[in-house]
Amino acid sequence: MLFQTWPFLAFFAVVYPVYLLTKGTRLRLPWLLAASYFFYAWLSPLYLIPLAYATVVDYFVAGRIEKGLHKKAWLFVSIANNVTVLAFFKYAGFIAENINALLSSVQAPYVVPAPGFLLPAGLSFYLLQSIGYTIDVYRGTAKRETSFLAYAAFVSFFPRLLAGPIERANHLLPQLRTGPRVSARQFTDGLSIFVVGYFKKVALADYLALYVGKVYGAPEEFHSAALLLATFLFAWQIYFDFSGYTDMARGVARMMGIRLMLNFDNPYLAVSMGDFWRRWHISLSSWFRDYVYIPLGGNRKGKPATYRNIFVTMVLSGLWHGAAWTFVLWGAVHATGNLATREMERTPLYVRRVPKLVKQLFVFALVMLAWIFFRAESIGDAWTIVVRIFTSGLADPHCPLLALALIAAVWCYQHLVESRVRWLLELRVVRIVLMILMLSYLVLTISAKGQPFIYMQF
Amino acid sequence: MGNEEVQENSPSVEDATPFDCSHCLRLSAQDWFIVAIVLLTLIGAASPAWEYIEPLATDNDYRIPYALSSDYWLYGRYCRRRCNQGKILVIGDSVVWGHYVPPEETLAHYLNEFSATTRFANLGLDGTHPAALEGLLRYYGWSLVGRTVVLQFNPLWLTSAKHDLQTDKEFHFNHPELVSQFGPKIPCYKAPFAKRLRIAVGRTIPFSNWTAHLRTTYYHNMDLQTWTLEHSYRNPLAPLTAGLPKPGGIPEPFSGTWVEKGAKKQNLAWVSLDGSLQWQFFGRSIKLLQDRACEVFVLVGPFNEHMLNTPDAAQYDAIKRQAADWLEKHGIPYFVPESLPAEHYVDASHPIGAGYALLARQILKHPSFAALGKQ
Repeated sequence: MLFQTWPFLAFFAVVYPVYLLTKGTRLRLPWLLAASYFFYAWLSPLYLIPLAYATVVDYFVAGRIEKGLHKKAWLFVSIANNVTVLAFFKYAGFIAENINALLSSVQAPYVVPAPGFLLPAGLSFYLLQSIGYTIDVYRGTAKRETSFLAYAAFVSFFPRLLAGPIERANHLLPQLRTGPRVSARQFTDGLSIFVVGYFKKVALADYLALYVGKVYGAPEEFHSAALLLATFLFAWQIYFDFSGYTDMARGVARMMGIRLMLNFDNPYLAVSMGDFWRRWHISLSSWFRDYVYIPLGGNRKGKPATYRNIFVTMVLSGLWHGAAWTFVLWGAVHATGNLATREMERTPLYVRRVPKLVKQLFVFALVMLAWIFFRAESIGDAWTIVVRIFTSGLADPHCPLLALALIAAVWCYQHLVESRVRWLLELRVVRIVLMILMLSYLVLTISAKGQPFIYMQF
Repeated sequence: MGNEEVQENSPSVEDATPFDCSHCLRLSAQDWFIVAIVLLTLIGAASPAWEYIEPLATDNDYRIPYALSSDYWLYGRYCRRRCNQGKILVIGDSVVWGHYVPPEETLAHYLNEFSATTRFANLGLDGTHPAALEGLLRYYGWSLVGRTVVLQFNPLWLTSAKHDLQTDKEFHFNHPELVSQFGPKIPCYKAPFAKRLRIAVGRTIPFSNWTAHLRTTYYHNMDLQTWTLEHSYRNPLAPLTAGLPKPGGIPEPFSGTWVEKGAKKQNLAWVSLDGSLQWQFFGRSIKLLQDRACEVFVLVGPFNEHMLNTPDAAQYDAIKRQAADWLEKHGIPYFVPESLPAEHYVDASHPIGAGYALLARQILKHPSFAALGKQ
């Protein structure tokens, strides 16, 4: 079920009042769990199988870890189980494809059959959250959840089920365990956050997708300017799409009295790649930081080890996004950019003399380059795009000016948010007028067809 | 299962927590109230205000322009105007609309001409099979209250299970936005639930229909975003000229009658009237109009019987009889015209201008038609 569709509106119109009625009772968690499972089953009832399986296994394993006997072994069971489920659904095809390529290169007369599994939406998100939980219990940084209902609701909490944020046990579980207070302020805050997310997704991301899809669908037919603009637009499309989803998720949760973590913080204003990852998909980057980068040694073992750890973490993060070499390369480009800006930040010239705006544009250019690999259908396509951007001449790109104007407006707004004149945007009249403009634009121009979110496929 | 501890968080803590967003669009309940008032005003006023801005010039032979066949808001507006003018509304599919003839050669035109009046108005809409017609009348013809209506049924929709929308295999028919979304079930209509819900809700909201009108009329049936892809550097508001296209012209140039085109006789897989979905919807349309205190006269046909092989012709005769019996039984005045001369048809059901003239004369001679509108 997608947030921006009528079925979700109908679903929430039923779920929410009952949730409010039951919030002070023991029926709250069963109702929340039933709603979350229904929400997920709407996409396909089969999706419930891996969700329920992962929930039951980690609930049981966390109990064993808490008892203290063979803690490490039980942690291994949890991680191995979740990674196996992920590999089974997400990477089996990729692995088979690469084995076949290898067999073919040595002319072996054997082909590994490609499995035809359907990747359950949001699988990577809830499995990572589940792994994080067992690691936290193992480390003693989170208390094991004794209520199965609370734990199952933690894994399946519907606002964040399809594409995060990837929550931490310490943050979400206590909120689910205790009865949240739903004040008018929380409701209006949630509504504000939701509407902004809806606007990002429906008015911006889906719009930009039209041009991006056209150009990236046949990159060999377009020239330099079109390819460059399509990449530029894709950078914003994916931001609006994913942060729009997160906003809607956070808005719905806030209306229910539950706070989900901030996942995006104006990432295209980042002044370094490290800064970018502190602003982009924060729940994922902090997950990889805490559960991969730091356990690998972080920056504690000297420069080469630090760089290796950054590289491994970024490549794994790329692979998490999708089972394709394009995502691995995307991670590698980010790792390289991360190392490069890290080094540059150590030079006084860069730190003192280079204006902030130039740094922001430089980081944005690096991120744009990486998006080419993320969006392209194959490495061949990505390479074609990179080559054609530099070699194919400047034909009229026919890029809609309205799209560029909307992006410019958002970019200016974000700059103002982080500037000294932020107070201007906080003026009541400005907030109300902006909200009216956004909603008017939506109701006047959009024929909402409910395009899926990009990150749901991960 | 563990025990669930039920607690209430402190209100002061909740309200003091920050907004924690990367933007400043935090609205209070009072702010939302203002936003709601402004938006509701916009939503409520836009459609009626636009009617003042956009002139709708309707002469006696006016019909909805072919290019705007899916502009149901315009249809509703036009229908309302004709109702206010006290006209007898001739409603049906492309046969009533006049697919191969100009506006001054349609059935409504000849009914006016031969009755020396201007009582009849062409409310035909291209492609409205009975299932769609029912939706058109239900959702967009709400001004049809206490009016006189000539409702045409085209037997073409009974010539196969596919035309009757009965196939289990998905079939993309005209005007899916008009048909029943949740019941009665249309077997060949396979739209997902979300789309059905969007359509079902959208068509009950005048503002939503009005924005669809803007898209259809001024943005080539595209939403603004898609339109800007094809007109990258144009001002997006420039197409809003408030000038409706002229209704003249015909969608397909006349290229000869079916005889001249050398069309062969056909074997058709007629659907029985009793089991017909389209006839069921047609019955619902009649019931709907009667519930709205309309006086309904049914026209069954015309249909090109010359195209039928002998066994098919017999089947068609049986269907005509069944239809007549059904209408008789329900006390609905009707007319099943004699077949027009073969050279008066362009295809299975569309007459040429001379065919419409002949049909109009036949209808006007019918006793129950003469009494129409005099109750």
